[in-house]
Amino acid sequence: MKLRNFPRPFIPLLALICRLALAIIFFYAGIEKIINPGDIAVAIYNYQLLPDFAINVSAIFFPWLEVLIAISLVVGIFKRGAALLSSLLFMTFATVLTINLMRGLDISCGCFGASSGNINWFYLVRDLSLFCMSVFVLIYDRGWRYLFSFQDYKK
Amino acid sequence: MTPNNLSQKLYPAFREGIIILAVALFIAIIFTLLRFNNMPLFGFSSAALVKEQQAKILSITLSEAYDLYAKNKVIFIDARDPFSFEEGHIASAINIYPEDASLHASSLKIKADQGFIFVTYCDGPQCPLSKETAYALIQRGITTVKVLVNGWSIWLKAGYPVSKGKK
Repeated sequence: MKLRNFPRPFIPLLALICRLALAIIFFYAGIEKIINPGDIAVAIYNYQLLPDFAINVSAIFFPWLEVLIAISLVVGIFKRGAALLSSLLFMTFATVLTINLMRGLDISCGCFGASSGNINWFYLVRDLSLFCMSVFVLIYDRGWRYLFSFQDYKK
Repeated sequence: MTPNNLSQKLYPAFREGIIILAVALFIAIIFTLLRFNNMPLFGFSSAALVKEQQAKILSITLSEAYDLYAKNKVIFIDARDPFSFEEGHIASAINIYPEDASLHASSLKIKADQGFIFVTYCDGPQCPLSKETAYALIQRGITTVKVLVNGWSIWLKAGYPVSKGKK
């Protein structure tokens, strides 16, 4: 195995690192929520933005979406779609957080399961950073093959 | 990156995104139908949840409340409408209707840090307003809130200090 073009393709390498970091974050967040959907439903309710009928659906659907995004980002199948959904999700999270921080609600974030801390401005900065990472991955990621070659090229 | 290049990337991304959304929805439905979690897709009851959470709010007895009042360690919060408040309220109480809790949260937090306890009250043993205001304040991070059930009537009956007007 040979590292191709290294270190010239710094941006694709960085995009790949971001992609894997996002995958780890989504997988952890998704699994934590799948284990305890009831608590996540309460967390979603506390944001006071969705009607009752949409709360359970969201509490069951979004964790699986997060896990699927994580798998797509690692495996590389539909990775652009995963990066796009990831950007949209973080944008949504950031908007929802901003609304409730402005309202002055002191509620559990529910970001990584029910035991997450209460919402604060740091979480907003975190979500916006992850949003930027997702957009970066969407635009610049070129996958494993761009960086690594499994053939030894003769000089 | 040229706009043309970007749209070339975005179109497949949208298509792939929709496929991921559909698969996630499919798994979520299967997961629920097979009852791996004990939660229906629909049927969340916010009313039941609020009732359950309001039931956890501690109440305070009249003698305890008066004791704190005498020691100047309590802030009474009148959860009734402004007209009833103007007609008469516990001396030095402030009027916070449940919907207005967010307007007072920051100033009450400062008082909470100074060690004050908040006691909400309304009129009548079944009156929900005191619990609603207490719940709204707890949601905004003010944890030292207790409810004086049927507060206005029993305070008045006991002959403790009351006042009239907007303040």
